[in-house]
Amino acid sequence: MTLSDSELERYSRQLVLPEWSGAAQERLRSASVVLVGVGALGSPAGQYLAAAGVGRIGVVDDDTVELSNLNRQPLHFTPDISLPKADNAKVKLAALNSEILVEAYPARLDGQNAEAIVMGADVVVDCSDSFATRYAVNDACCAAAIPLVEAGVLGLSGLVLSILPGRSACYRCAFPAAPPPGSVPSCREAGVLGAMAGIVGSIQALEAIKLLTGVGDPLLDRILQIEGDTLSFTTVTTERQDDCPACAQVPAAQQSGA
Amino acid sequence: MNRLDLTGVPCPMNWVRTRLALEELAAGDSLEVVLDDGEPLESVPQSAREDGHDVRVDGRVVTIAKAAA
Repeated sequence: MTLSDSELERYSRQLVLPEWSGAAQERLRSASVVLVGVGALGSPAGQYLAAAGVGRIGVVDDDTVELSNLNRQPLHFTPDISLPKADNAKVKLAALNSEILVEAYPARLDGQNAEAIVMGADVVVDCSDSFATRYAVNDACCAAAIPLVEAGVLGLSGLVLSILPGRSACYRCAFPAAPPPGSVPSCREAGVLGAMAGIVGSIQALEAIKLLTGVGDPLLDRILQIEGDTLSFTTVTTERQDDCPACAQVPAAQQSGA
Repeated sequence: MNRLDLTGVPCPMNWVRTRLALEELAAGDSLEVVLDDGEPLESVPQSAREDGHDVRVDGRVVTIAKAAA
């Protein structure tokens, strides 16, 4: 399964990285990623995963593009208003990289359908916008031992945590319960600056690529916190909880390529 | 001896092809690449040395002995 001439040229600037290799590129090509949400985080994450050559990307989103999305969701353009986001993301990502397969799932992920949606993925990238969805994604990935990149962005702050279920802290280990309703303003009330979401979504793509290829050290048991106003990046360590209802009983996930 | 004629292949594609060919070899095996004068002959041997390989240049023919991983 060697890389074609057009793949060599498309990926040439990463194939020359000392840390990279043809084998790493082939691992990406044979990988399947599920992107939960193609909004503020999922747009940049999806663009960089598609551009880097992830062979199969499933995009899950049940929203339609609105004018108020466009300050922070660079996959969606003004003429795309009222289109389903999943379909539009599929068109845009397929246009960015014709070598890959993109599938659209216009559904809202919840506790009922989460396991079916993440099934078969090598890595799940959670770009959702609610605590309920994050816990559902986390629990499904833990149950199926699928590596996961969690993130959130609000205002000028963001955080990222990568998860190898059974080996590193899951989202529930780090954040056992959602904050009480009303204590954290929703994205709608607090606002999000697009450039800040771009930083966080780009880091999610980088983490997914690291998990898929075995290149570098992912953010396992380390929560990256980013403050956009001062541009301070800090990491806080976290660890697995023996009594975690999501991951305490699961077999350890294997990191591809590692 | 493995040989790759990269005449007419510009930077950085010549180095991309060289690196992928080296990836297929065992440590200690050698690869011979033929490069154009100018940037290719200046850059590819240097990149190969930076990756730790043993490099010999004879005219446009560059012999690269693969380093241990």
